[in-house]
Amino acid sequence: MDDKPPIRLKLRDTAIGFDLESPLLESVDLEIRAGEIVGLTGRSGIGKTTLLRTAAGLVSPLSGSVECCCTADARAKKGAIGLIPQRLGLVQHQTVGYNVLMGALAGANFLQTALSLPSKKMREETRSVIEEVGLADKTLESVNRLSGGQQRRVAIARAMLQEPDLLLADECLGELDAETARGIIDLFRHMADEHNMAILIVDHNPVRAKTFCDHVYQLRGRRLIPFEEDAQPSLLPIIEEASS
Amino acid sequence: MNERISDSIRLIIRRPILRTSIILGIITILVTNHLQITIWKLVDGWSNLLKLGSEALPPDFTVLTERAGWTHPPCTFESDILCSPAVVGMTQTLEIAFLSTVFGMLISLPLAAMAASNLSPYWLSQSTRQILAALRVLPSLIWALIFVIVVGIGPLAGVLAMTMYTVGYLGKLQYEALEGVSKEPLEVARAMGLPRWQVARFFAIPEASNALISQALFMFEYNVRHGSVIGLVGAGGIGWYMNHYLTPFQLYDKVLALIIVMFVVVVVIDQVSLIVRRGFIDDTANFQKPRWRDVLISKDPALKSAKKAE
Repeated sequence: MDDKPPIRLKLRDTAIGFDLESPLLESVDLEIRAGEIVGLTGRSGIGKTTLLRTAAGLVSPLSGSVECCCTADARAKKGAIGLIPQRLGLVQHQTVGYNVLMGALAGANFLQTALSLPSKKMREETRSVIEEVGLADKTLESVNRLSGGQQRRVAIARAMLQEPDLLLADECLGELDAETARGIIDLFRHMADEHNMAILIVDHNPVRAKTFCDHVYQLRGRRLIPFEEDAQPSLLPIIEEASS
Repeated sequence: MNERISDSIRLIIRRPILRTSIILGIITILVTNHLQITIWKLVDGWSNLLKLGSEALPPDFTVLTERAGWTHPPCTFESDILCSPAVVGMTQTLEIAFLSTVFGMLISLPLAAMAASNLSPYWLSQSTRQILAALRVLPSLIWALIFVIVVGIGPLAGVLAMTMYTVGYLGKLQYEALEGVSKEPLEVARAMGLPRWQVARFFAIPEASNALISQALFMFEYNVRHGSVIGLVGAGGIGWYMNHYLTPFQLYDKVLALIIVMFVVVVVIDQVSLIVRRGFIDDTANFQKPRWRDVLISKDPALKSAKKAE
């Protein structure tokens, strides 16, 4: 009997991009199981974000298959996929509370959404995840007034409330200082371990990704290949910085 | 000689401003001739203008102080000022503008979400755009004529006419604002598997809320200005009272006083609206941005007390 955690995302011989004649990526094979964090690295413009958007069902694969959250197509069941885009996708000029509460929409019934009446349980859970990410005193603050790190915490809290089977995070750690990045990494680890979430995270820094991901892949020459540290001699200073 | 002409033509061709000015000048002369507009007609009109001026000046401000027993609907206040044609007319114009803006926005917002190409499928967005365009084809004055025939003389015809026009005009502004929102929040919602109406209701509309509120305020201003015109065809408001003085009595001094009252009110509303709208438009202004609060969260007593403690 197979006692491995269930597969949340499975790409088989998938071509990704917008033009079948010249796809951004081809023959992509990737498998992510519940509770795993998988890192994705590669130079700018190589197709990391497009791969994430394909996994999210926002872009159709050019060929091959994308099995997402145990369904045979990219359209997973409602709320099964969580997405944190590069610029976080927060609703501007709205409060932290509002943005986090959006994560509960997938689980809300028609009346709750039509009348904008979240249940007591939803409100309590919203408050609880906001506390968990350390923004309890900012609940009624507009997200525009928060720092970059705090805004990332809001996007993560939204995903925590949603509790998707698969979370896709695009460069969530970019432009953050080491301490803030560490705090956010801890949150991802917590979500994977405690909530059994599968997480696919794009990170420009492969060495940092190695420190918290279960597997790290890189995109190179239209292919998805496992990341090898030896192949990146120029990153040695970053390794030293990360280890210190 | 021929060389001089060809030099001049080359000069004109080389200079785009000169070239455009000559073309525009020729078209203007042709159109003026076609409409049979002559300078003599303008000269003839001058004497009429002088006659009108002598009859209208000085303006008769008794329209602000004398009670009018013929207001529609009848005025029940005891104060003469409150029942004067200027106050009753201007109040009606403001009321018509307010109601038509509110009703117009309630109808136009869902239509705008359906018309926005980033929120709706192609067939729905295109067909809704045609409906909004059709509503804009007729100016509010023609809508007022239609509704005066349908529901009779009075403010109801005005409210219906202005609402129709508001839906068409505001709907267009709104769907353009919705199409301009950042795509990332919408992608978050789509990845979650939310239906289209929830994507619009919880992500796109709040994201565009500043622009939408600003547009609604602009529409209110617009409706106040146009609310005075529709009264001329019997659809209520200050225009109805102007028309009452114009036909058949031709009391131009009273009409001028009403125009001055309307001008002052419109200028005040424009200024107030400009100040309020600046708060929604300017991100750098030191202005407490109004936000579409998540009402239920802010009602939570624990959070309220936390906010107070802060």
